[in-house]
Amino acid sequence: MTLQSSDLRRARDEVGAVIAVEELDGGLVELTAHLPHLAATTRAGEFAQLRCGPGPVPLLRRPFSVAWVDGETCSFVFERVGEGTRRLAAMRPGDMLASLGPLGTGFTVRKGMRRVVCVAGGLGCAPFPLLARQARALGVAEVVVLHGAATASRLYPSARFVRGDAAGVRVVESTDDGSRAHHGLVVDLLGRELLADADVVYACGPNPMLAATASRLRHGLDGSAAAPVREASLEAPMGCGFGTCLGCALPVLRDGAPGWALCCREGPVMPIDAVDWEGLRALPPAHVA
Amino acid sequence: MTLDLRVDLGRGLLLPNPIGVASGTFGYGFEFEQLVDIQRLGAIYTKGTTPLPRDGNPPPRVAETAGGMLNSIGLQNPGVEQVARSYAPRFAGWRVPVVVNVAAATVEEYVQCVRVLDGAGTIAGYELNISCPNIAHGMDFGLDATAAARLVSAVRRATERCLVVKLSPNVTDIGAVARAVEDGGADAVSAVNTFVGMKVHLGMRRPVLPGRGTGGLSGPAVKPLALAAVARVRAAVRLPVVGVGGIASAADVLEFFVAGADAIQVGTANFADPGIALRVLDEVADLGERMGLSRLTDLRWQAAPQPA
Repeated sequence: MTLQSSDLRRARDEVGAVIAVEELDGGLVELTAHLPHLAATTRAGEFAQLRCGPGPVPLLRRPFSVAWVDGETCSFVFERVGEGTRRLAAMRPGDMLASLGPLGTGFTVRKGMRRVVCVAGGLGCAPFPLLARQARALGVAEVVVLHGAATASRLYPSARFVRGDAAGVRVVESTDDGSRAHHGLVVDLLGRELLADADVVYACGPNPMLAATASRLRHGLDGSAAAPVREASLEAPMGCGFGTCLGCALPVLRDGAPGWALCCREGPVMPIDAVDWEGLRALPPAHVA
Repeated sequence: MTLDLRVDLGRGLLLPNPIGVASGTFGYGFEFEQLVDIQRLGAIYTKGTTPLPRDGNPPPRVAETAGGMLNSIGLQNPGVEQVARSYAPRFAGWRVPVVVNVAAATVEEYVQCVRVLDGAGTIAGYELNISCPNIAHGMDFGLDATAAARLVSAVRRATERCLVVKLSPNVTDIGAVARAVEDGGADAVSAVNTFVGMKVHLGMRRPVLPGRGTGGLSGPAVKPLALAAVARVRAAVRLPVVGVGGIASAADVLEFFVAGADAIQVGTANFADPGIALRVLDEVADLGERMGLSRLTDLRWQAAPQPA
């Protein structure tokens, strides 16, 4: 599995009305807007750069995975972590939202995959509702979403992963504090039985969770190869989102040699084995707002 | 009256209009080419290009501040050989003039870069980056008027193409550096590169950016500083001045012309809005016509003589 660079020719700057801003439990917000180009073209794991206000504060757009597409609308899931997300959460139906997208390299979803396992830590839930639907549309028999959060209220509602496809999508939850379902880390759910017949594992969440997933896939299964396709969606502080500012470098291995890749072009979804997990761990925590 | 937007930067480099895009905010044009009609721009000033390929600095490389952004990219670029061999032929099909920004550590390296690029047919000119705040020795020439003059005269002897010198604002007297590069044989100057800045993560009790903890500040926050720098450079030299720093609207552009600019570059605003330079171009043309200008430089402020 090698790094791929995204195709910018599908990206378009469009402005559409906000349809809804829903407050979920635990501080999660789901914003839905009328963005027909993004809705028609995005693939799971890709992102849009959303303008959070007229500027100059915040100056830069913020990147968000497309969580769901319904007709000509797109939904994004986030929590208020800084000025940008606070302003997005304060938008009201009818407000205009600017979106540049789709951007980045998404998940590899192919015909012929039978079982797909998604590992979602906290807000890493964001790309998986759309992924589940696109995978099912390609004939994937079962999508299993392992979703963990710090506490029950911060779990993204499982019905939102399923969205009308209860037969083909299964959600298994965990909480760090044991307030619901499995008491422990989401990576604990990545068991041998589950992996035995998984064609692919996709992961999205905080770096330590991703690193633990990578490690489990590599070392935790008695050396037996699990899931031929393994991909992780990462994040980095981003300037432009389309490969020009070179700001969102992440440590990767190219033919085993350490180097940088841009989160916005060769990511956010990268082959798990192409990420330099040791290098990533050595970085200061990303200061995103 | 018809508004004439053309700008003569010297040595045969005639820009179709004054709206360029700043080095480091537009790559080599290839990403933007897929998003907007780059051919209408006045000029593309490329990413800083060095003698050898550079991987750039460790992340995080960018941090947003109030009305601005800090970057410490570390001149990630493919190196001059690849730009001359693979990129320059692609510029051949473009109408927009491409000015290659060149950065190096020694006089010899700058000269070598320009020689390599001179062998490529489709480059409109060079912007000498003597003002990068994010690599060791990146500002050596930009902070020292004597060194700057020596560098520019050496590069001048190596090329007949238009030579723009990008000045650092991180100096006591930018006018003195501007005069030195004029004496060295520059055709134009661009003012200004980013300002050395720092963002602190209070919780971690450390700067957000790694290494020295500093980066280059750009965006609307620096516009008043850049305007003052342009005015000081204007007062110091007769060369064309390319103004840059926080430009995001037609009004911003005209303000830089009042301060003394002959052309401008849109920089950080490109990141948040890839179509902004083209929109600014259309608005400037419209606004200039409505103001009855024949040239945008008619807006220039004539500063009263200042006591020494």
